[in-house]
Amino acid sequence: MGSSSSRLSNIPNGQELMQETGFSDAHLLRLYERFQFLDKDNKGHLRSEDFEAVRELSKNPIGDRIVEAFFLPGQETVDFPSFVRVLAHFRPKEKNRTREGAQQEPEPANSRNQKLKFAFRLYDRDRDGKISRVELLQVLREMLGMQVTEEQLQSIAERAIQEADLDKDDTISFDEFRKISFHADPHRNRTGEARACLLEGKQT
Amino acid sequence: MFSRMAPHSRTGFARSVPELGLLLLTILVLLEGSVLRLGAASSPATQSHGAADCPKPVETHHNKTKKAFPVLSFEYDHVKMPFEISLWVLLASLMKLGFHLIPRLSNIVPESCLLIVVGLLVGCLIKLAREDVPPVLDSQFFFLCLLPPIILDAGYFLPIRPFMENLGTILMFAVVGTLWNAFFVGGLLFALCQIPQAGLDIGLLPCLLFGSIISAVDPVAVLAVFEEIHINELLHILVFGESLLNDAVTLVLYNLFEEFSEVGSVTVLDGILGVISFFIVALGGVLFGAIYGFLAAFTSRFTSHTRVIEPLFVFVYSYMAYLSAEMFHLSGIMALIACGAVTRPYIEANISHKSHTTIKYFLKMWSSVSETLIFIFLGVATVEGPHRWNWIFVTATVILCLVARVIGVGGLTYVINKFRIVKLTTKDQFIIAYGGLRGAIAFSLGFLLNKSFEMREIFLTAIITVIFFTVFVQGMTIKPLVELLAVKKKQEAKRSINEEIHTQFLDHLLTGIEDICGHYGHHHWKDKLNRFNKKYVKKFLIAGERSKEPQLIAFYHKMEMKQAIQLVESGGGSKLPSAMPSTVSMQNIQPKHQPAPPKPTERALPQLPKSREEEIRKILRTNLQRTRQRLHSYNRHTLVADPDENAFKDLILKKQKMIELDRKIKEMTMYLTVPAPHQGSPTMSRARLASGRNTDFIPAQQQKGNKKSSDPQAYNIKPASDAMPIIQVDLASPQSPDSVNLLDEIGKADRGEEQGLIMKPPPGLSGSDQHGEKEKDDWRDQQKLMRCLSDPGPGAEEDEDEPFLP
Repeated sequence: MGSSSSRLSNIPNGQELMQETGFSDAHLLRLYERFQFLDKDNKGHLRSEDFEAVRELSKNPIGDRIVEAFFLPGQETVDFPSFVRVLAHFRPKEKNRTREGAQQEPEPANSRNQKLKFAFRLYDRDRDGKISRVELLQVLREMLGMQVTEEQLQSIAERAIQEADLDKDDTISFDEFRKISFHADPHRNRTGEARACLLEGKQT
Repeated sequence: MFSRMAPHSRTGFARSVPELGLLLLTILVLLEGSVLRLGAASSPATQSHGAADCPKPVETHHNKTKKAFPVLSFEYDHVKMPFEISLWVLLASLMKLGFHLIPRLSNIVPESCLLIVVGLLVGCLIKLAREDVPPVLDSQFFFLCLLPPIILDAGYFLPIRPFMENLGTILMFAVVGTLWNAFFVGGLLFALCQIPQAGLDIGLLPCLLFGSIISAVDPVAVLAVFEEIHINELLHILVFGESLLNDAVTLVLYNLFEEFSEVGSVTVLDGILGVISFFIVALGGVLFGAIYGFLAAFTSRFTSHTRVIEPLFVFVYSYMAYLSAEMFHLSGIMALIACGAVTRPYIEANISHKSHTTIKYFLKMWSSVSETLIFIFLGVATVEGPHRWNWIFVTATVILCLVARVIGVGGLTYVINKFRIVKLTTKDQFIIAYGGLRGAIAFSLGFLLNKSFEMREIFLTAIITVIFFTVFVQGMTIKPLVELLAVKKKQEAKRSINEEIHTQFLDHLLTGIEDICGHYGHHHWKDKLNRFNKKYVKKFLIAGERSKEPQLIAFYHKMEMKQAIQLVESGGGSKLPSAMPSTVSMQNIQPKHQPAPPKPTERALPQLPKSREEEIRKILRTNLQRTRQRLHSYNRHTLVADPDENAFKDLILKKQKMIELDRKIKEMTMYLTVPAPHQGSPTMSRARLASGRNTDFIPAQQQKGNKKSSDPQAYNIKPASDAMPIIQVDLASPQSPDSVNLLDEIGKADRGEEQGLIMKPPPGLSGSDQHGEKEKDDWRDQQKLMRCLSDPGPGAEEDEDEPFLP
């Protein structure tokens, strides 16, 4: 399972990362190995080409947005801490893990709110805090591809904004977004059982 | 018949109807009773007559000629079967009617209880009338005729996503829970029988057999009760799913123990064979169902010319799946569920809207009648059935069943919660345990037991008692308990388009993250399945264009269709639901610029003022939309001219156009410098609207170009040289007559389009937006156009305007 050199001590700032993100050391190790796997030239950081090398991601309609989310604005590389911080949003919640202080004060990275903020950022590419009609259209276009007419896309976007936009400013703010996803969130106790927990000890 | 006179003779109509029902009921029953007796009397006569016929044809010939020609004769025998069935069905339906006229009663007592009581009454009546109750709950009849509609209804409308998400939990409850129940009850009963004071002498295997019969949660009862309490989706799907999937376990256990209770012993080998048999029964049933489901979906691909028999395919294929599975002693219930669930997404894409409604209503109707009949027959069979009451056995059974259920649910939940994200709370557990109702399946299985089986009567009595207990006590008290415990109720959440978008988005997001992590999890495989589905299966099973339609679009159109229907039903558009934005703020007109386009080929934005851009986009879009709409139209409809569906489609179009219309107006009024109203253009438009003519909002130049309409009013507007025409549409008056005419108009518009796109493209863009290409990149074309027209001077305007003239 990885080279002999991949031990926790080799991970730069491993302890701080663990505290900050809440990953266990096994998880962190696995992520580090994955990071190294993706980082083909062993540069120590990832560029977007490394992400694009993941085959399935290219088939993903919003693949490029996801990749974008790893990069902090203005940066062209992703180092391991950033990598882990993004993935921390999807860490499965544990009920009784006690971490020293990192859980109470700042909201844990994988709380629902943080996940929603992350998703919101994916929609709202220009980071102005609102999803405009155009941004929604882009998302729809990406997801639906070439199979639909522009007309249909417009209608859908129109309808979506009408339904969600409570303050009638023709954009979807984060609060409105939260209300929508209240129903669609797979983590909610409606029947939600979709597993976003990726790191339960399984990895290829 | 004096029943017809009854409503006239009474003054208060409201009070007369329930009385009428009761009257009819008693009449029916008495009629049936007396008719049957008469039938019994007449049949020996006809039989002897018939018997006499055969050996001595000559003599009977003589006999016949001597009798006078019967002007009016009565012969019950040859209609006996269907007649009785119809009477029962009629009785059941009248009962259903009757209950809802007495609202107080139906609030307190669930329908199933009332029906059983009615059955008891009817049974008593019949017994009095005839002293011999016919065996109505014949197991054959039950399993082959009464049960399938209910299960098919459940399977066809099974909410797939919650079901799949909770499949692990459901299977645990269904398989492990039922096994536990069976062995616990059976074993402890056997232990009880060992006590000499009990006076019972039942072997281990018969006890286990009994345990396996009584342990299965019954889907019919669960459906009947849970439907009325509107519990939240999770609990509903858990209990309901369990009741459906435990059929395989019950079947295997029942067969196993029945076979061997004769022999008297079970070896380990038999146990192993039993386990293997379980897998075969369960998976085989699902396989059969899936095969038939695919066949049904495939057949529906070709039904575009014969819409009327579309529902039939669904029903017949599903029933065949059930029968085939039963033929091999596989689980018919699972076959039905699999068939319904598999076939639905594909069939719904293929069949017409009317067929869909038909299927829905027929399924609901049949399952409703079946359910009613089952409960009534339970009542009748209680009166009739051979009973042997043994206090100890019966009370022990009831108590043990309850205890087993509680322990089972508790223990299983403890284990399951380790694997679930959304844990089951104690309240949930309580409801799940409390909702474990037994019903007619258990009774029928008991009834199926060999008549020579000496314990049969005791078992039947105990089974009936348990059923009565669960249905009456638990059924009646579950509603107040749900209120008391403040269990989450079903949210009346209509899936909005936003949810749909968001759900899909999240799916993609999570799949993407999984891929980045290199983790082949839940989402990864789901995504792979979806892609496989889209690529191969859909193409194979769905006719024509619909196979390429993404789920979101299908969903969107379903919603629009629903709204359109509402619109029509509410009187033709007096108020368009989800009203158009009344104010359009300035910001939104400007499309946001991308800071750094990640993909340069697609996102280069031109240097155009926004109004221009929007205008051009709209012009292009409306024209491109025409061709697109023809190409992407729902071909399945155009093959069979279905005026209503076209009307709905047109309503959708109309609404879309009106939305665009509104936006366009706002934009144009804000951005244009000299709003030069044309000669009577507002009045003309208003006149147009009032007369119900075309309010289709495309600038008139284009319309002139495209339509060969001979409408004199519509198209005399010439463009001003430096301003776009303003056409104000008075949206306040979309009245019914208008909307009707609009439909015609738009219909004409579409049909007029058949001749092809007249519009000549602006120079430099030839061929880029012509019709003929189906899947072109609309967006790219617009970009090209915008780049060509980057200079918004008057010359360019005219340049652009000109080609739109004929």
